Amino acid sequence: MGTNEKASVLIVDDEEMVITSVRAYLQLETDYEIHGFTQPEQAIKHMESNQVDIAVSDYLMPKISGIQFLARAKQLQPEASRVLLTGHADKQSAIQAINDVGLYQYVEKPWENAQLLLIIQNGIERAKLLRELREKVSELDTAHSSLKNVQKRLLQAFL
Amino acid sequence: MDEEPRPEQLWSEAVDLRAKVASLTAQLTEEHKMASIGRLLAGIVHEINSPIGAILSNNQVIIRSLEMVGKAIAGGDAAALEKAGRIVETCQSLVAIDKIACERISEVVRGLKTFARVDSSDLRKVDLNEHLQNTLKLTHGEFHRRIQVETDFGDLPPVECHAQMLNQVFLNILVNAGQAIEGEGKIAVRTRREGDDVEVSISDTGRGIKPEDRSKILAGGFTTKAVGVGTGLGLAISKKIVEETHGGSLSFESEVGVGTTFHIRIPIEQVKTAAS
Repeated sequence: MGTNEKASVLIVDDEEMVITSVRAYLQLETDYEIHGFTQPEQAIKHMESNQVDIAVSDYLMPKISGIQFLARAKQLQPEASRVLLTGHADKQSAIQAINDVGLYQYVEKPWENAQLLLIIQNGIERAKLLRELREKVSELDTAHSSLKNVQKRLLQAFL
Repeated sequence: MDEEPRPEQLWSEAVDLRAKVASLTAQLTEEHKMASIGRLLAGIVHEINSPIGAILSNNQVIIRSLEMVGKAIAGGDAAALEKAGRIVETCQSLVAIDKIACERISEVVRGLKTFARVDSSDLRKVDLNEHLQNTLKLTHGEFHRRIQVETDFGDLPPVECHAQMLNQVFLNILVNAGQAIEGEGKIAVRTRREGDDVEVSISDTGRGIKPEDRSKILAGGFTTKAVGVGTGLGLAISKKIVEETHGGSLSFESEVGVGTTFHIRIPIEQVKTAAS
């Protein structure tokens, strides 16, 4: 995957109004590809077959909570950054989220657009870097094992 | 020197004590009301924060968009104008969202207002269905992600009552119902006129009340809830408000594992008595 590909932002909130507002703002300020879902189940489906750079999720949702969703997101795409955007005035949920799903950021509603944008930009950057790192590591692994091969053959040739 | 107190003196002490008990009871009732609201606060805050977030964000987007549209109009070329048209469409959808968001906030505030402290001696004729609806708005944040609330409101005449106090009773029983339900469930609220009374029934599909607890739950100081969750006073206060203040009745039926229904019966007209 090339780095010139458009960044993909996933927004999950059971309130349509939050998705619409964040989408309108991001469309105005960025050229990101934005996918909004009112049901976490659909967002999970989306992540199963599409690369996501950052997932922004509400906390309190019916059936699947934001933390459960982000935990699943982590399994599916560990490099994607995870952000909890919540109106729940509950520090315990924040701590749990940070511990359980390795949250990238915790944002409280009502959110500040400029702050949210900065978090999303940095989160995308982070995801891209992590993916690049993984690619480099695997390239390094391949190079290392082919080097080993060459070494082995050299040794065989001389011994 | 031990002197036997005179009967008049004893009498006046008794009157003082009675007044003190009445004022303490009123204070306790008020404090309990605030505690019930406090317990719902996280849900109420959550309910308000999403629409406020949306409005704030939309406001910024609309300001920026208007600037862009203004420039496009001034520039006047066809491509810019076409883009301006799309921006205007986005703004229209955001304005529509702002309206919904404001309505949502107003609903919650209306619910809270029914609990604002007013003179509790205020006896008025009210539409109990409307009051129930407003009280339900307060539980919405707490309930709507796991509990389905069904209302079946009958035609009710205006009921003469202390509406704030009855709202407290409804909230109490609704909060209890919500706490009785583990995971997902249903709460049904039904109102009917029954002769000279009005009956409000609140049913839940919760865990039910154990037979051995049934005789205790309407008495004060009994709770099966964890420390910090229940005070053990909610139903005792509710019973007092319904039966002593309004001359009505509070009863319930319950089946373990199936659910509980509370019946609140209030006379449509209060009997005028000399007692205060």
